[in-house]
Amino acid sequence: MRGLAPLLAVGVILLALAASRLGTYPVYLMSLAMINIIAAIGLNLLTGNSGQISLCHSSFIAIGAYGSALMTARFAIPFWLSIPAGAALSALIGALLGAPASRLRGIYLAVATLGFLQIVQIVIEEFADVTGGVRGLTIPKAEFLGVRVSDYGRFLIVLGCCAFAIWTARNLLASRVGRELDAVRLSPHAAQALGVSVRRVRLGAFALAAAYAGLAGGLLAIVVGFIDPVEFGVSASLRQITFIVVGGMGSVGGAVLGAAVLSALPEVLRPVKEYSDVIYTLILLAFLILMPHGLITVWRGAMRRLRLPATGAVAEARR
Amino acid sequence: MSELLAVSNLAVRFGGLVAVRDASFRIASGEIRGLIGPNGAGKTTVINAITGTVRASGEVLLDGRSIGGLAPHLISRCGIARTFQHVEPFDTLSVLDNILLGVGRHAPVPFAHAALATPLARSREREATREALDVLERFDLLPFRDARAADLPFGVQKRMDLARALAAKPKLLLMDEPTSGMSESEADRAIAAARELASSHRMTLLVVEHNMRVMMALADTVTVMQNGSVIAEGAPAAIQRNPVVVDAYLGEEAADAVD
Repeated sequence: MRGLAPLLAVGVILLALAASRLGTYPVYLMSLAMINIIAAIGLNLLTGNSGQISLCHSSFIAIGAYGSALMTARFAIPFWLSIPAGAALSALIGALLGAPASRLRGIYLAVATLGFLQIVQIVIEEFADVTGGVRGLTIPKAEFLGVRVSDYGRFLIVLGCCAFAIWTARNLLASRVGRELDAVRLSPHAAQALGVSVRRVRLGAFALAAAYAGLAGGLLAIVVGFIDPVEFGVSASLRQITFIVVGGMGSVGGAVLGAAVLSALPEVLRPVKEYSDVIYTLILLAFLILMPHGLITVWRGAMRRLRLPATGAVAEARR
Repeated sequence: MSELLAVSNLAVRFGGLVAVRDASFRIASGEIRGLIGPNGAGKTTVINAITGTVRASGEVLLDGRSIGGLAPHLISRCGIARTFQHVEPFDTLSVLDNILLGVGRHAPVPFAHAALATPLARSREREATREALDVLERFDLLPFRDARAADLPFGVQKRMDLARALAAKPKLLLMDEPTSGMSESEADRAIAAARELASSHRMTLLVVEHNMRVMMALADTVTVMQNGSVIAEGAPAAIQRNPVVVDAYLGEEAADAVD
């Protein structure tokens, strides 16, 4: 991935400068968009690359959010430690779910992950002494060495994490790890004939997706300052799926594009808030039918036209 | 010559159907072995049993080590690769990425290194890419390196399927109908490439093939199956004249055609 790191660095600097001139609310919205991007990157590795549907991605965001928040609230672990620890916890639970789930395909996997989502919801609601239950949980203000982190400081943290998520996911997809994820989706038979452990790759994909979601959750907690189980229900999972379908399955660019574009949607939809699930579903259906490979195809099409030699050889061999 | 593969009393059942019964054969290291038989004789099932994708009873030894009952990916790592009768390309990946999946199993990159693109990860990736490009060059696939596998014509996909299997540097290569769907000249090129492989890389081949012309040109020894059992084994010329084989499979014309 030559050239990605400098590009990301420029993007980070430009966004940081832009945000320093914007008001609190737009900066807050940008933070939420980037948190969505981080989670969508994880889901895209699982669904877009390894080919496993998940209806419980929002549960891993919840595990990261509650996990890190409770570590800070109960054990006074600072946020810069509790957020990675929350992501690690989420990855661990992702692996535990992946162990049975990676044996399932299609509709069975969808139902199993939906069941997991319900379990997480029930655990949050029933263990109200710890989690605050349906009344929610107020998150302690993020502090660094005894100093409260400002709104802008929190934005910078999210920005850094988002850049890190994009960079690591691109690295993984450009490596053998990414090729194995794709291979397992495209032809499990051929993959195992080449020595790839299909089960291990599928399970690893669950853990990996959960890690990104957990990181997003930890950040969400410190940015919003309050979490409750409703935010992590089926609608949130459906939103995540919509992000990657609209942006493009199986690429980091797709996840970034979809999550960034659609994160602006709730603001646009504010007057018709009650119908937001309907609107998300309509968008999802429209893309599935009209542009199944997502917005990223527009970019890809342009790139392919620049890569004439390869297409030329294929065309010639076809003749 | 030492013995590479020993299959003893192999049996595969699909419910009430016996696909392979009591099949035994041995393949010497460096040999090109043909496996022929009428449709439904159990040839592909034998390959699937050796690679662990169907459950079988009996014993399979590779280099004296039992590999029966191992998971398919572990059998592959022992040094057995295969090609598919109906090619199994990774459709949306580039030809180079397809080959890269065959390469580099020997030097896996630790996950954290891959995520952080450390110097170790990058040097491993460069090595693997260099190796993959060598493979592409040997199989005349370099012009296609960035093309999507799904976009290739069938003959080229076949070649890529073979190149990908060989990229893993197996000791034993199982080829399921390598020339089906190929033109005559493509088939000849494939035979030459397979012969070259066996001699220069000391690779052992087990080839399932319907095309007797290909079989005669390629195999050192031919094993004949019918109804799940091995009914004959011998040099190609002798097999073509063997009355049992002629009766079961080849028919008179094929036997005449040799003369």
